Amino acid sequence: MARMKFLCDAERCIECNSCVTACKNENEVPWGVNRRRVVTLQDGEPGEKSISVACMHCTDAPCAAVCPVDCFYTTEEGVVLHDKDQCIGCGYCFYACPFGAPQYPQQEAFGVRGKMDKCTFCSGGPEEDNSLAEHEKYGSNRLAEGKLPLCAEMCSTKALLAGDGDIVADIYRQRTLRRGGRPQTWGWDKAYGSDV
Amino acid sequence: MNTAGFPVSRWIDGVLEDKENIAQRDNLRAMVFWGHAPNSQTRGAEMKKAMEELELLVVVDPYPTASAIMHDRTDGVYLLPACTQFETYGSVTASNRSLQWRDKVIDPLFESLPDHTIMYKFAKKFGYDQEMFKNIQVNDDEPLIEDILRELNKGMWTIGYTGQSPERLKDHQQNWHTFNTTTLKAEGGPADGDFYGLPWPCWGTPEMRHPGTPVLYNTSRPVAEGGLTFRARFGVERDGVNLLAEGSWSKGSEIEDGYPEFTADMLKQLGWWDDLTEDEKVAAEGKNWKTDLSGGIQRVAIKHGCAPFGNAKARSVVWTFPDPVPIHREPLYTSRRDLVEKYPTYEDRKSHYRLPTRYGSIQANDFSKDYPLIHTSGRLVEYEGGGEETRSNPWLAELQQDMFVEINPADANDRGIKDGDMVWVNGPEGSRIKVKAMITRRVERGVVFTPFHFAGHMQGEDRRSKYPEGADPYVLGEAANTVLTYGYDSVTQMQETKCSLCQIEPA
Repeated sequence: MARMKFLCDAERCIECNSCVTACKNENEVPWGVNRRRVVTLQDGEPGEKSISVACMHCTDAPCAAVCPVDCFYTTEEGVVLHDKDQCIGCGYCFYACPFGAPQYPQQEAFGVRGKMDKCTFCSGGPEEDNSLAEHEKYGSNRLAEGKLPLCAEMCSTKALLAGDGDIVADIYRQRTLRRGGRPQTWGWDKAYGSDV
Repeated sequence: MNTAGFPVSRWIDGVLEDKENIAQRDNLRAMVFWGHAPNSQTRGAEMKKAMEELELLVVVDPYPTASAIMHDRTDGVYLLPACTQFETYGSVTASNRSLQWRDKVIDPLFESLPDHTIMYKFAKKFGYDQEMFKNIQVNDDEPLIEDILRELNKGMWTIGYTGQSPERLKDHQQNWHTFNTTTLKAEGGPADGDFYGLPWPCWGTPEMRHPGTPVLYNTSRPVAEGGLTFRARFGVERDGVNLLAEGSWSKGSEIEDGYPEFTADMLKQLGWWDDLTEDEKVAAEGKNWKTDLSGGIQRVAIKHGCAPFGNAKARSVVWTFPDPVPIHREPLYTSRRDLVEKYPTYEDRKSHYRLPTRYGSIQANDFSKDYPLIHTSGRLVEYEGGGEETRSNPWLAELQQDMFVEINPADANDRGIKDGDMVWVNGPEGSRIKVKAMITRRVERGVVFTPFHFAGHMQGEDRRSKYPEGADPYVLGEAANTVLTYGYDSVTQMQETKCSLCQIEPA
């Protein structure tokens, strides 16, 4: 079974926000909730770099470790999903997540946040695959259709890679060999451990 | 009547300029904006005034656009809803010169109509529909798109827009998988040998099956396979210098030197006249490669490896331009007064596209004391043109919610401005815009940048209530061009959007 991973190649990302727009449209994510975003460091200065960030679907996911109602689960393909019917919107996962992935539909006083929402690797949730209930709560389920996440599919420079971790790593390894530089697999140590 | 008309950049002067000074009988009294963003043009404050002085203003667009809301007219404004590209079908041309056939995705929404239907209805009303559409089938007021393209094919010999018939383009659309994504060439299948989208020049008739020209002026290929020479567009000689190519020709050319544009007489001199069919001879007699409607002259030239438009040298001296080779001229609104004497602009012109056009008389004034910052403008990745469609798209609008000005930290500190503060950007012609400050090193000290995609605010006033109900974009903002200033290209009258001056103060 493939272990799904994301990798954003900061040498290629041009901050075009195609990934963000693709995600929003594919999953019908409401205004103010950002499953994926592009972060730019040293904007306007020499050495400027951009990177596209979403839930990395960690091995040993910290969000799952802190969840008081145990609403997270990891699929056979290594995708970290959660059950919105169980989620109480407490926000613990947001504090635990090293990538700032969990999102909440409301930002009101006294911690009323609504059910947490995050990237599903375009693979829905616990409801029946591609059912209306699944779509309404979690967005699309492209994995069930044999397709990869739309953010990476739409990436104009192929900076953002999504898919079987071994294949993603191979593609990246070939790129760095050609470039002759030091690999910078941003976020991989944190998400998947230091031995990958 | 025969002088070139007002360009879109100057229509406001067609309204506002004294009648005595314009090279036509009267001022402009009506404007039809068809798929146009007025906020992409400079001098927005004067444009508002011009819009108010018109007798009639018509907007044809999927969105109301700023044309509908930036003025204070109470009557004589017509919004004609045009449908989008998804609600019709036909060919589209891209900037790589290739054409692509597309299908209709949904029927036109609400009362919107495709552009060509609106155009037909206008023609019918004005009474020249019989003439305009005599070669085009019309079904229920909708001209048949295939016939429109066939009519283009019949007439556009000069740029080789003749071989791209609807049938060939549909073949390409239906056989994407047969095209090599690197070379763009079909490998086998019904379009074998064609380049995707038949990039023009696609010479001759569709039946000739020219493959299109994916790279211009590539002499390493035969013309019949997409190769090309430089066009002999400006005669064969100037000031005693030969303008035709010397020692250069496209691969397989039977004339191994420069040659002029092909004519019937030239075919006869070369002994190639009898390569024409009898019908082609009748059509080609006395004609040249761009007036022979049979395409025979083009066909025979290409058969002998030649480019129909001749083989000349590339030209870098444009003797018809005010500056035959570009030289630096300081902008009209410059902060570098020390450069004006050495690099002056042009003298004012009495009539340029029917209008007096000012250069030197503006540059003579020193605005740099009161307006010390260089103001330039440009695009954002999220928005397109005037931004009306894209600011109405929630996924894109969310990414850029505020009109802003990029300002260097040093200039911001000098003015007591913090990141995210509202500021006034004051232009040297007296207008101003209220926008958010983005403090960033993207711009040098002394330079500020604004994006031009916003509209809906005018000099501090939110005009959202002027939109027809439900038609207002998610995001509104000041148009950068409200404060961008006078200045027009000496050849094309393209507006100066890149180089002006301003002063910024906290709002």
